[in-house]
Amino acid sequence: MSTETSTAPASPAVNLPLSKKTLTSDHPTWCPGCGDFAILNVYYRVLEKLQYPQESIVTFAGIGCSSRMPYFVNSHGGHYIHGRSLPFAAAISLGRPDVHVFNFGGDGDGFSIGGNHLTHAARKNTNMTYVIMDNSVYGLTKKQTSPTSPIGFKSKTDPTGAMDRPINPMRTLLNSGATFVARSHAAQIGHMTEMMERAARHNGFSVVEILSECVEFYDGAFDAAVPRKGGAFQTIELRKNDGTSEDTLRHDPTDEVAAFKLAGLEWPGKFGVFFEVKRPTKNELEAGLVARAREKTKNASDLDLLKGAFARMR
Amino acid sequence: MSNATSARPKPFLQPEYCKGCLRCIEACPRDCITPGDEINPLTGLRPVALHLDNCNGCSLCIQACPEPYGLRRQAARPCVGDDFELEDPAKLFGERQVANHSAGDVPDTFVPLPACDPMILKGTYAAAIGALLAGCRHVFGYPITPSTEGAELMAKILPKLNGSFVQAVSEVAAVNMMYGAGGAGVPCLTFTSSPGFSLMLEGISYMIGAEVPGVFINIMRGGPGLGNIGPEQADIKLACRGLGHGNTHALVLAPSTPQEMLELTREAFELSFLYRNPVVILGDGYLGQMTGIVKLPATLRRPGLPAWAVWGDRAHRHNLICSIALEETDLEQRNRHLNIKYAEISAHEQRSDLYRCEDAEMLVVACNTPARMAKGAVEAARAHGVKAGLFRPITLWPFPIDALLPVLPTVRQLIVVEASPGQLEDEMRLALSHAGIAPPPIDHVRRFGGLLPQQSEILAKILNYQEVLS
Ligand SMILES: Cc1ncc(C[n+]2csc(CCOP(=O)(O)OP(=O)(O)O)c2C)c(N)n1
Ligand code: SF4
Ligand code: SF4
Ligand code: SF4
Ligand SMILES: [Mg+2]
Repeated sequence: MSTETSTAPASPAVNLPLSKKTLTSDHPTWCPGCGDFAILNVYYRVLEKLQYPQESIVTFAGIGCSSRMPYFVNSHGGHYIHGRSLPFAAAISLGRPDVHVFNFGGDGDGFSIGGNHLTHAARKNTNMTYVIMDNSVYGLTKKQTSPTSPIGFKSKTDPTGAMDRPINPMRTLLNSGATFVARSHAAQIGHMTEMMERAARHNGFSVVEILSECVEFYDGAFDAAVPRKGGAFQTIELRKNDGTSEDTLRHDPTDEVAAFKLAGLEWPGKFGVFFEVKRPTKNELEAGLVARAREKTKNASDLDLLKGAFARMR
Repeated sequence: MSNATSARPKPFLQPEYCKGCLRCIEACPRDCITPGDEINPLTGLRPVALHLDNCNGCSLCIQACPEPYGLRRQAARPCVGDDFELEDPAKLFGERQVANHSAGDVPDTFVPLPACDPMILKGTYAAAIGALLAGCRHVFGYPITPSTEGAELMAKILPKLNGSFVQAVSEVAAVNMMYGAGGAGVPCLTFTSSPGFSLMLEGISYMIGAEVPGVFINIMRGGPGLGNIGPEQADIKLACRGLGHGNTHALVLAPSTPQEMLELTREAFELSFLYRNPVVILGDGYLGQMTGIVKLPATLRRPGLPAWAVWGDRAHRHNLICSIALEETDLEQRNRHLNIKYAEISAHEQRSDLYRCEDAEMLVVACNTPARMAKGAVEAARAHGVKAGLFRPITLWPFPIDALLPVLPTVRQLIVVEASPGQLEDEMRLALSHAGIAPPPIDHVRRFGGLLPQQSEILAKILNYQEVLS
């Protein structure tokens, strides 16, 4: 979708290898102990591994504590309207298919006010990576119920305990049409790194939900998945296709029904890649449309093409 | 040629009931029907033409026609010619049941409140209590700083009072919940702040169009865009001039103390039902958070039920609430009706507070929290021997021009003080212009971005003019 007239800014002559040092900008302002710190560090790590040109990285977000991410990363980026980061990020991705778009946000941002945008960015398979930093509470506005808060959770808007059934993020994301869906936990650096890296390498709409504790307003929310606190962190073993009989017991990430079954496991459930398929991306489809249309024009000038179009409208 | 019998009557068509979909043409095996080439003047559509010489009365066209009164059997034709009439549903089904029942207005009642000591409350809480005393039991909202505490207090108290607070998925959802509850005739409220108010404008326009009451408290914060959570007054233009699309207005009330937050919120409900229109309360972020002494009123309101409510019982069955009016003349009529309502509000509901205006030469105009700084500046100026006064609009729409005009003859300089780049001043200038008055010179003290005008700046401005003019 790039136009003839846009001119790309000149890139710096030498690209320094990406390191945490080159990638860090502001000092994070989260509360001490907030799970979001770990996610930021993993993001640095993944970028270090991927070594994209720094000027081709976009770190984008909505509004919330989690959505402060772009401030702390030395890349292009933006901090946008609550719940509306996905349409903005989608337009970046489609307008500049050459850049790498990472979108961050909270559970309220993604599943409540931004819920409909999530569905449509995902079903169109717009190429980007979306990281949902789920603390099951509204952190920035100081403890209101979120769409992932469990029944009984006492918040300032549900002082006697939340009563609405929370959404199941994995089922919601699977149903949305995302082509890569994974789940991780902010206390598991290695696992998070693996998930985020796979998501970044995926061509299409990839999404990782990371349980990230809000120590201020929902202390201990995800302890059930923290071995150090007596919980169990169970990962999904993926199919190796080695022909062995035990392999059939492993999860086939292209099997949507199996993914939905995993999503229905009792809390805290399992972590890993739930779903991963190849489907044409919106970016590819748009590019194809333009290419086919351009082919017919036989490189005529814009002026001639417009003249022709106007003539037909008379 | 034709072998149609009376048992297989040929079709006939009243052209007014044909929408020209051409399905009958496809259906007819004997090519008896052709597309019409004339536009029917009554419908603006192009009915088909029937040529029934070849027709054998197979009735396939009648089955294909989707219009209930479109192609029909000739036998079913009540009479031939232009005097064809549709059967009156009342004759077919008897009288409409709903027509027999009509609800009357159930009036509000007021219960005395036992005297109690004044309370120390922050502005958002005071507003919440004002709403409770007005009989509001339905509150909808989406968290946003610096307004959320009002909703949070409601979430705590309402269940005990047989009411409910619902956290909507967004402000867009919240405003439509307001429409629903308001349409049912119950007093409802939302707390929001500037970005959230922006999202509610669409719904407010629909509520005004459908004449649905509801109270919107917007604790204004710094903008545009995400801005910050400091106090500002830059939504005055939205509330006074920009309530969504179309010909919209709502009473806009601007309290300046927690006490007024309570009183005006309480009154907002009565006004909202009186005029069947939303009412907007504009506070600034500072007022929302500021604590002050608040005295409770002497009565508690038990809301009645208006006759127009869509209240889901037999008596209210014929009620319909909607903002659509497809017929241009109907919509023009509705706009005329709204204009009359707006004119009534403008004539009867202007409110203001005048402080030392009787002989004022330097007249400061301010509302909300900046009015408190302005009042301090006026007092300080008086101590300097300057004849200063404060004109404080309490309704921003309608602007209280009727109270301003009598003050102007002594005034040598107007100074508008506000936390916005001139939105209050614009309202005042517009009102003066409509009144055909050439005002005294107008200057201003403006701060924005989350900062409020300070008493010292206002005083300096007053003293400066005093020097220049004397
Ligand atoms: C239109 C609009 N409504 C409300 C807000 C206030 N607001 C800011 S962040 C937020 C929710 C934060 O929760 P979440 O998305 O889960 O992020 P977290 O802070 O928990 O990381 C809300 C309601 C806003 N900024 N804009
Ligand atoms: S409020 Fe919660 S989510 Fe926000 S920074 Fe603090 S710990 Fe993290
Ligand atoms: S009744 Fe049969 S033959 Fe006659 S017009 Fe209709 S479809 Fe044609
Ligand atoms: S099917 Fe009925 S409505 Fe449609 S063109 Fe024929 S007569 Fe008219
Ligand atoms: Mg959250």
